[in-house]
Amino acid sequence: MKVRIKAFARFREIIGSENTLEFDDGTSVLSALKSLSEGSKDFRDACFDKEGAVASHVVLMINGKRISGRDREAGVLHDGDELAVFPPVAGG
Amino acid sequence: MLNENEKERYHRQIMLFGEAGQEKLKTARVVIAGAGGLGCPVATYLAVAGVGYLRIIDHDTVERTNLNRQILHWEKDIGLPKTGSAGEKLMAINPDIEIETVRITIDEETAPGLVRDADAIVDAMDNYPARYLLNHLACKFGIPLFHGAIRGFDGQATTIIPGKTACLSCIFPKAPPKEIFPVIGVTSGMIGMIQANEVLKYILGTGKLLGNRLLIWDGLGSSLETIQVERDPYCTECGHIKGSQMEKLK
Repeated sequence: MKVRIKAFARFREIIGSENTLEFDDGTSVLSALKSLSEGSKDFRDACFDKEGAVASHVVLMINGKRISGRDREAGVLHDGDELAVFPPVAGG
Repeated sequence: MLNENEKERYHRQIMLFGEAGQEKLKTARVVIAGAGGLGCPVATYLAVAGVGYLRIIDHDTVERTNLNRQILHWEKDIGLPKTGSAGEKLMAINPDIEIETVRITIDEETAPGLVRDADAIVDAMDNYPARYLLNHLACKFGIPLFHGAIRGFDGQATTIIPGKTACLSCIFPKAPPKEIFPVIGVTSGMIGMIQANEVLKYILGTGKLLGNRLLIWDGLGSSLETIQVERDPYCTECGHIKGSQMEKLK
């Protein structure tokens, strides 16, 4: 199945604004993000915490709807989904 | 009532929303929390639009590294308090409005008294702990909060109407790590303009606010998009607020 991963702000600088990747059916959000991070240490450092979990401040959305709680990692992706990863910016 | 000077100064925008709209701006009280990259453009454009009372809060002094984006502070102001520097320029820009400057750190002790009487609070801070405090007080007192944040060529903004829209904690339950952020002045300008535009629309009661929408500006791609956000019913800040309760508070 194909999933489009859309990145914002700093993530976009690291991995580009959009990546369409091929995954096995039933791939989780965590697996999809981990596979992206395999090619980029910078992305891994920015998106994951030291324990290997998705950093708590990173906003995740599937098809424009924000996912929270357990779904942030265990949520299952489907063919044609768009997974958006957004690191809030903090400056002022 | 608008005097003749004001009718002349605001002539081109009175064409948009009438003297009644200009009166609404004249009687509005807006608190701008921060006189930095976002606070400078927000304050400038609210001042020229004729928002009658601006309270500008900041504890910092002007440094040379501020000058690439903080447009109310000039070379001659280095070492001076940002509040005084901003106040001087704003009073020169528009002597018909009232500018109050407060040089103080925004914290749990100082903030309630500084925002309680406001019609709107502008989040022009540079860190999330202070933003969460403003969000807490906005929810507590039922005052709209106009959020903006920047980094590099990227920015974000949203408008929070307590009890009606997602609050800052609904959208960003956890703060990003603290950093000395890279930034270019045009990004502060873009997001500051979005915030000022939202404040003006809110006061005038016109247009569609950024409630339940997070606006994301990508300066390198020259693209703006908004993503839908929604209230978290379990939000620790606003989850308990019902729309009707907020109406009573206002």
